[in-house]
Amino acid sequence: MNRLRRTLVCRHALSVSVGACALLLFGVRLARAQDADPFARLDAGSRFAVELMIDSANTLQLPSDLLRSTALQGLAVHADAKRIVRAVRTTFTNLKTARAVLGPVNSEELKAGAAVLYAGVKPTQLVPFRVRQKDRNDLQAFIVWADLITRGVPSEEASSAIIKLWQHGADDATFYGLWNSVQSDIIKGLNPGAALQNRIRETPGAPAATKVTPPEGQQENQSSR
Amino acid sequence: MTDSEQHPYVEWIAREARRPVVTSQAARDRVMASVRNEPRPQARPRLWHRALEPRALRRSPAGSALIAAGLIGIGVIAGVVASHRDARAPAGLSRVARAPQLAVSDSIVKFVFVAPQAAKVSVVGDFNGWDSTKTPMVRASNSGVWTVTVPLTAGRHLYSFVVDGSWSADPTAPLAPDDGFGHENSVKLVRRGSAL
Repeated sequence: MNRLRRTLVCRHALSVSVGACALLLFGVRLARAQDADPFARLDAGSRFAVELMIDSANTLQLPSDLLRSTALQGLAVHADAKRIVRAVRTTFTNLKTARAVLGPVNSEELKAGAAVLYAGVKPTQLVPFRVRQKDRNDLQAFIVWADLITRGVPSEEASSAIIKLWQHGADDATFYGLWNSVQSDIIKGLNPGAALQNRIRETPGAPAATKVTPPEGQQENQSSR
Repeated sequence: MTDSEQHPYVEWIAREARRPVVTSQAARDRVMASVRNEPRPQARPRLWHRALEPRALRRSPAGSALIAAGLIGIGVIAGVVASHRDARAPAGLSRVARAPQLAVSDSIVKFVFVAPQAAKVSVVGDFNGWDSTKTPMVRASNSGVWTVTVPLTAGRHLYSFVVDGSWSADPTAPLAPDDGFGHENSVKLVRRGSAL
């Protein structure tokens, strides 16, 4: 009788352990599935909106990975769903605008163009970049352009400087050098607009500056935003 | 006194059992023919047959509990390994962090951030799904310099550093405009074979 009881207890324990392992593995698989599908954290409506825009971007042959990345970034900073959808929609709109203005450029240039629009540049100001020499790439110019505006250089001044440099055939090193010197001046406390005007005159192959340097008293850490 | 003395039937049964059995030759032939017709038993039963054959396992409750605990432990270890496989910290400065989304890398990019007071720094970006657990940075010994190297495809990449839970742009890289979440990211332009 005792032997029978022990056998039953043994079988019961084995069944329980197998069941526990199965539940554990199921839990791990579920967790990994959520990792694989991060949009699962969005509510149904927001998720539908985001996925619709991603599908539309694919249909329009726009780089949908930027939309996905924007949504993931919003999820990573725990932004609310409305904000995420709004950010993805704005990015999508900027990508479409950049495509319409720039024409058949590669996806990285489109993304950089969309970022420039996001920074506040008017779509018409992108038009000069539509025509380009073969093998010339506007990525560096767009990155510097968006950075200058983000750092507080007035949009019109930054746009004027970048467009003129581009039209004068400036290369990537020129744009990078301009960015490097302007951002170091801004960090030192110079007015962003003044920093750009000072440095653009020193840039090789740059057009003549359109503005004069502000007086000393106005240069200290004044954001032009 | 023996049992047979007490039970006469037992002695009779024993006597009958000792008496030789006489069978006819025909009966013996029939029996032997039947035996020869039986299939020869296999020397060893097949493995699958032995595996499927029902049998009773004899284990004490304590032994069963040990087996159950062992199985659950194996499951837990497997689960922990599976769920944290992507988040393991690199062992050295030169180790290349995992970037699971990237099929092909065009360049190895080294991210550097100075944060002497930080306890934990990682890099997030479009190359790791903005997941702060995927690309942890490693502090150089006795300094506040945190580094990690990441394989990236050519193109423009957005990224930020996460310093003890707070996002921070790279002070040495161009900024990208705030894309609606309240902070600015940095931009890394990667060309084939080199990074800016």
